[in-house]
Amino acid sequence: MSYKNQFMAHTQLILSPFFERTTKLNESQEWRRWSGYLAATNYELTHENEYFAIRTKAALLDITPLYKYIISGSDAQQFLDRLVTRNIGICKVGQVMYTPWCDEDGKQIDDGTVQRLANDKFRITSAEPNLEWIEQNAAGMNLTISDDSKTTAALALQGPNSRAILNSIASDSLDSLKFFWMMNTQFHDISVTISRTGYTGDLGYEIWMDPKDALSVWDLLMDKGKSYGITPTGLQALDMARIEAGLILLDVDYISARHAIIEPRKSSPYELGLGWAVKMKKKDFIGKKALKAELLRGPKWNLVGIEIEWEGLENLYRDAGLAPGLPSTAWRTSTPLYHGDEQVGYATSGCWSPILKRYIALAHVKSEFSQLGSKLKFELKVEHFRKLTPAKVVNTPFFDPERKRSCPQ
Amino acid sequence: MVHYDIIVVGGGLNSLVTASILGKSGKKVLVLEAKDQVGGMAVTAEFAPKYKCNMLNDTVKWIDPRVMKQLDLVSQGLELVSPDVVRIALDQSGQHILFHQDPNQTAKSIANHSDKDAKAWQAFATYIDNLSQFLEKLYELTPPKLPDLGLKEVLSLRSMLKPIKKHGTRGLVDFMRVVPMMMPELMDEWFESELLRGAVSTAGINHITLGPFSAATGYNLLHQHVHANGVFHHAQFVKGGTENLANALLRSAVANGVEVRRNAVVHSINVANAVCSGITLNDEGIIEAKQVISGLDPHNTFINLVGPSELNPTFYTQLRNIKYRGSVARIHFALNGLPEIKGVKEDQMNTVFSISPSIEYLERAADDAKYGRIAEKPYIEFTFPSVSNSDFAPKRKHVLSATLQYAPYHLRGQHWSDDLKEQLRNNVIKTLENYIPKISSMIEYTSVLSPKDLEDKFGLTEGNLNHGEMTLDQFFFMRPTISSAQYKSPIENLYLCGPGTHPGGGLHGANGYNAAYQIIK
Amino acid sequence: MPTIKKYDAIVIGGGHNGLTAAAYLARAGKEVLVLERRYVLGGAAVTEEVFPGFKFSVCSYVVSLLKANIIRELMLPKFGLELLPLESTFTPLENDYLIRTADPDETYREMYRHSPRDAETYTRFGPLMGQIGMAVRPILETIPPNAIRPSFPDLSAMKKLLNHFKTLSDEQFEYLTKLMTMSSADFLDEWFEFEPLKATMAASGIIGTFMGPRSPGSAYVMLHHYMGDIDGSFRAWGFQRGGTGAVSMAIARSAEHFGAKIMTEAPVEKVIVKNGRAVGVALENGDEYKADKVISGLDPKLSFLKMVDETDLPNDFVTDIKNFRIRGSSGKVNLALDVLPEFTCLPGNGPHLRGAISISPDFDYIEKAYDDAKYGNFSEAPYIDIIIPSVLDPEMAPPGKHVMSCFVQYAPYNIKGGWNDQKREDFGDAVINALARYAPNIKEIILHRQVLTPADIESTFGMTEGNIFHGELTLQQLFALRPAVKWANYKTPITNYYQCGSGTHPGGGITGSPGEMAAKKILKDW
Repeated sequence: MSYKNQFMAHTQLILSPFFERTTKLNESQEWRRWSGYLAATNYELTHENEYFAIRTKAALLDITPLYKYIISGSDAQQFLDRLVTRNIGICKVGQVMYTPWCDEDGKQIDDGTVQRLANDKFRITSAEPNLEWIEQNAAGMNLTISDDSKTTAALALQGPNSRAILNSIASDSLDSLKFFWMMNTQFHDISVTISRTGYTGDLGYEIWMDPKDALSVWDLLMDKGKSYGITPTGLQALDMARIEAGLILLDVDYISARHAIIEPRKSSPYELGLGWAVKMKKKDFIGKKALKAELLRGPKWNLVGIEIEWEGLENLYRDAGLAPGLPSTAWRTSTPLYHGDEQVGYATSGCWSPILKRYIALAHVKSEFSQLGSKLKFELKVEHFRKLTPAKVVNTPFFDPERKRSCPQ
Repeated sequence: MVHYDIIVVGGGLNSLVTASILGKSGKKVLVLEAKDQVGGMAVTAEFAPKYKCNMLNDTVKWIDPRVMKQLDLVSQGLELVSPDVVRIALDQSGQHILFHQDPNQTAKSIANHSDKDAKAWQAFATYIDNLSQFLEKLYELTPPKLPDLGLKEVLSLRSMLKPIKKHGTRGLVDFMRVVPMMMPELMDEWFESELLRGAVSTAGINHITLGPFSAATGYNLLHQHVHANGVFHHAQFVKGGTENLANALLRSAVANGVEVRRNAVVHSINVANAVCSGITLNDEGIIEAKQVISGLDPHNTFINLVGPSELNPTFYTQLRNIKYRGSVARIHFALNGLPEIKGVKEDQMNTVFSISPSIEYLERAADDAKYGRIAEKPYIEFTFPSVSNSDFAPKRKHVLSATLQYAPYHLRGQHWSDDLKEQLRNNVIKTLENYIPKISSMIEYTSVLSPKDLEDKFGLTEGNLNHGEMTLDQFFFMRPTISSAQYKSPIENLYLCGPGTHPGGGLHGANGYNAAYQIIK
Repeated sequence: MPTIKKYDAIVIGGGHNGLTAAAYLARAGKEVLVLERRYVLGGAAVTEEVFPGFKFSVCSYVVSLLKANIIRELMLPKFGLELLPLESTFTPLENDYLIRTADPDETYREMYRHSPRDAETYTRFGPLMGQIGMAVRPILETIPPNAIRPSFPDLSAMKKLLNHFKTLSDEQFEYLTKLMTMSSADFLDEWFEFEPLKATMAASGIIGTFMGPRSPGSAYVMLHHYMGDIDGSFRAWGFQRGGTGAVSMAIARSAEHFGAKIMTEAPVEKVIVKNGRAVGVALENGDEYKADKVISGLDPKLSFLKMVDETDLPNDFVTDIKNFRIRGSSGKVNLALDVLPEFTCLPGNGPHLRGAISISPDFDYIEKAYDDAKYGNFSEAPYIDIIIPSVLDPEMAPPGKHVMSCFVQYAPYNIKGGWNDQKREDFGDAVINALARYAPNIKEIILHRQVLTPADIESTFGMTEGNIFHGELTLQQLFALRPAVKWANYKTPITNYYQCGSGTHPGGGITGSPGEMAAKKILKDW
């Protein structure tokens, strides 16, 4: 029986070029759908080792399901500057920028990274398919757009030991590769591109390669990484890490303006805490007019980090005769936040941070209640009954280690 | 540098109407016409040595009476002539149907084909006249912004319902019934004679791409009969050629202080951050103005002159979705004499002839266009403009100008080559021969204008004479798009006044009139 | 002339709308009699064992539009309603195919294979149509006003509708306007590029209609059919276990449960009208039944030009009814098969056989089929919508055998020279030939075939011109104009004579809606 037939899903889902390895390693056989791919939820029966690999060793994740588009041509930069909110003009060759993009009402459609591969060649990644939107807005411009989603495979190697592992394989040293920059190098005879990016808020890299090299690259990394504690890691651990890093997730923390159907479901970058990525000084871009107006009157909502205070939580459980019940994995159910009797927001994802020992969440809060330190009440169920427990607005990232940005001296 | 209040791009009829009215209101207005002659589609020109023709339109269905009055076109030299016989629907056996100004006369002509139809004619003509009065009122309005309609807008729409006083709510209901109808549905309710059914249906397909079996050809039929004063197939000729309509408007504009520049090709309409600041000319550079009004069609205005990257994505999508799909071609023949048509008297030659023997005939011609071919047996409407304008041809010689449908802009497996135009010409001659057997021996010279030529020579996107199809999805508050139906575009200070706006195509000037008052407001 | 008994209400015709009206009236405590001409109930929604062991949903073949509240209120699941979901929509092509299934990822991937852009657009299109459907629903649920002399309730209903429209988003309003006026081809061209996808989607815009996909107005019919997708997730179209007749039987049992009396083989000859009031009906056998209200579930032509005398009706109304367009354009071919058909492009059994199979490779194909009909012939190469009920419900055929239902367009009622046996067979052959292009084994596996022309549909099911919607769904025949102005509110010019068939608002399809709304209007007037 071929591996494909292990899952009835083979007709319905795409198998990543790494699947041949990941399926054998996946002890739990727990899978999730990610952009039509089968993606490991966790490899071991619990995700804990995988989470700690991200924070203390090195975690290896298959991120091939990301949507990727190559935009090239003499108008490529001009086009991207029209499409996204950040200033692509100042993005140098070899540099990467994280950016949101919006519709003309300034409501966010998606967010991702823009890699400048050459002066007139870029790769943009996204969480949802964006080909239609990209093509539609490229009218009259001299450029070509190609869907790179299946033509490039990608792995994320994240964690404090990731640099050491890569240095032990790559023909070039990664020591001088700065945060949000990328380089081309060789793994023996295999050409790969490595960007110092990731979705964990830790030291980490993403490795971009031809799908035909996928298994060799995987094997090399697993082999050389063994002594550094490399651990194949699934989405559950990643979800906790990205919450700690304060990174939002499309369809969990916000809904694409292209799919929101109704206005209240849409969010602007200002409302998502991404105001820093909206560059008002650059020439007209899609959504600028609306965003400018919003900037002037101030956004109605804010996406903030909140911490659910320990004492209140402990007390509620104590009243029920229990030790505090903490979620073992990240949750994604919208949870109401109150100020007094009024609901003033909702948390969209959260987790117990094992490394910080704090119960944290990302939340949409009405602006007037969103300033740092603002006291809120978080709804939770204790023994089937709804309770409110104190929470407060805190800074994100919740976890922001020095090593994320630094280079060895 | 001179500063203008308003620049009008394009010197077509509606542009001139808008410019003239705005000039009259005291604005400093500049009109920029790319060619050496203003008038847009109302052009009269030589097409062969010593032969002149009305390039695109021989007749004027109706001119907005508000324009006539406000700009006093009669004293500017406009003279309209309406013959007693406004149209002759040709019959191969010579039993033509003559549409007279007087419906009783028309009925007599119909009686040769069907007594029943002849009896119904008067009532039908009145019925259509009544219903088109609802459109007349509608055409004087600036379309509302829907769906969020304020009380003020609702009240401003009240005048639309005025004809109810005269024709009752039943009139309004009939209007709503007929507008979405297709020709065979309407005809089934009234007539049985194939020739009459075909001849009446031509009004429903005039200058559109769809065939008579298409819903809402009822609307186009009513559109052709606005201000027709009860005359079915109403037609007026401009004395001296259609260009005299443009000349009268030009005189009015100049008298109102408007500056008109010819041979001024606009390179771009300048927009930054969704605000329009003026235009750039091919030769002379930038001219700034407080407001820019375009009389061109939406595609030329926004996609070609503003540029897609200055348009917001929703508006751009809406613009891309406007349907043009021209399928009308024009053929002018220089003839060595006035042909004889069996059963038509010589003093009736100054009318419009139509070859439309049945609805099915018309529909089959449309079928060809549907599959990207030129009609093998086209619907032809023709005139002899030289009959009333002796200067159009040398003595005893004549001009036959034909409008034919369907010759689609979008062809399949071929393009608009000279060969295809030759084929089109042959199809026309073959069809004409059924009624004018000797026609081919009389032709001295032919000029064929395909939809592609209309696009290239007259700046009509896809060769559409109406600046966008006259269909219900592109009507009133949807014309040209739901976001720009108030003559105002989503770009600040940029306005529209051409046939791409409400109330659509035709040499009536209502678009320009409405646009001017919207801007003054 | 024996007069038996006086009922509160008599419903003429035991089609699904008549039965629905009867059930609602009975549920409200009225004594109701339903009179059906045939030996079976259901009208066009009927199951018959046409060949021994082979059962067919002879006419209507899929159910999706049946309103949820009717299912709840009439407790239809209790009385046998059981919908088996169709698994896919399958469009066979010359060397390829398009299949859309319930799984969004699989469908995305399949569409991506043909057009990456379409795959993406498709994920936005469905929800948008859902939104438009939501926008339309209040109209569908409003009793149409008298447009000539609106009553006070009419005016307040209109005001409510206007206010509803003001709440729509610009996008909803724009697309609603387009759907009301455009051709389905033009509408879909704005969204998609892959022809087989567009043609298959557009096909629902021509079903039951004498229009092609490029005819303006067909987008509305597409929306009408799209309503079926709104309650469920993807394609809530389903097949009733036991055939469509079982839906009618469920409604009939519900009606009986509420106390209605149903008689079959009881053809009504005339509505008895006295002094402008309907007082009962006379059967063809001479029996008479008296009732306070008489309700016709027949089409408008039969209800007004046959069941009553023209002299009992105002002239303008008679003109309107005569002008009401009701051209039949579809036929039905029912096949008993020895084994399953084998499609060249996707051989073997699979989900593609357990759904709707659509012979609609491109717009031109359907449009040419329409051209044939436009000029008075049946389509040489017709559009066919196929389901194989026996793969969903094995009891429809003997063990191992299959039944196949082919809904075919176009077959004009007014065919040149009229329908006869030869033409019927030729038409059947055209359908089989069209199928054989994609499933070559079809010719060898047919055990029996039943061909229904529009003329057969008229004579068997009593639908004028064989029009399955009791009147075309064109703009001028909707809402306050369906079937005629002033009388779109289920009433008629004859006091106590009502109408509840598909010829009334909101039109055809197995919705139950006209029946329900008519019953509610009657109860309000009582």
